[in-house]
Amino acid sequence: MATRIRILSVCGSGVVTSSMVANKLKDMFAEKGYDAETVEANSSEVEGCCSRQHFDLIAYASPIGDNCGVPAFNAIGLITGMGEDEFMEEAIEALHKAGK
Amino acid sequence: MLSKDLIRLDLDVANREEAIRILAEDFVKAGVVKPSFVDAVLEREQRSPTALPAVAYDIAIPHTVSEHVITPAMNIAVLKHPVAFQQMGSPEITLHPQVLFMLAISDPKDQLSLLRRIMKMLQNKELLNQVREAKTKDGIYDLLQPVIDV
Repeated sequence: MATRIRILSVCGSGVVTSSMVANKLKDMFAEKGYDAETVEANSSEVEGCCSRQHFDLIAYASPIGDNCGVPAFNAIGLITGMGEDEFMEEAIEALHKAGK
Repeated sequence: MLSKDLIRLDLDVANREEAIRILAEDFVKAGVVKPSFVDAVLEREQRSPTALPAVAYDIAIPHTVSEHVITPAMNIAVLKHPVAFQQMGSPEITLHPQVLFMLAISDPKDQLSLLRRIMKMLQNKELLNQVREAKTKDGIYDLLQPVIDV
């Protein structure tokens, strides 16, 4: 069964770019055997989101202040299509460290 | 989604603000966004920039929250001279987009497949090069219509 993970996808407005990134993340993690649930937010909502729910990863397309202890990765490469493999390697390494 | 009225070739602008204002006002004229979109998209670009080092050349995808949008739309502007934008996610990096794709998204959940198609377009090097080299609005429309308006 696929391992369930929850990812916070962050962009400037918390809508357009974060939805693009969230889509991509769901597809890419599904290929790696993960069932990724995504929550979209803007940068100022990160702390609030992290205090309400547990997140395994943060993918950001807009700089975030505090990552609240959650492994955070720049998601620009997912939008341009360059650097997707590096993103996934680092993200999966972080998940493995957390036992997922 | 696409309209030949929302394509500009050889757009000659002095800076980012001028480019965004012209495109946003085209959206207002086309009736796809509320007048409040203009200031909102300018403010958003300032606070959280949208330029991307795309596979073919630098681009930017200015957009803002859905409350200013009436119906989904995209406009395309090939710039006569690239102007400075800051990179999405890394505002300390300056990029020089050659083509701008301004987005009006009214409901991201509902328009997921459209967002997927836009993202695919942004990753298509050959298509981006063809858009930049196109000589007419019809040429750009014919390139993008099959990819975006399916």
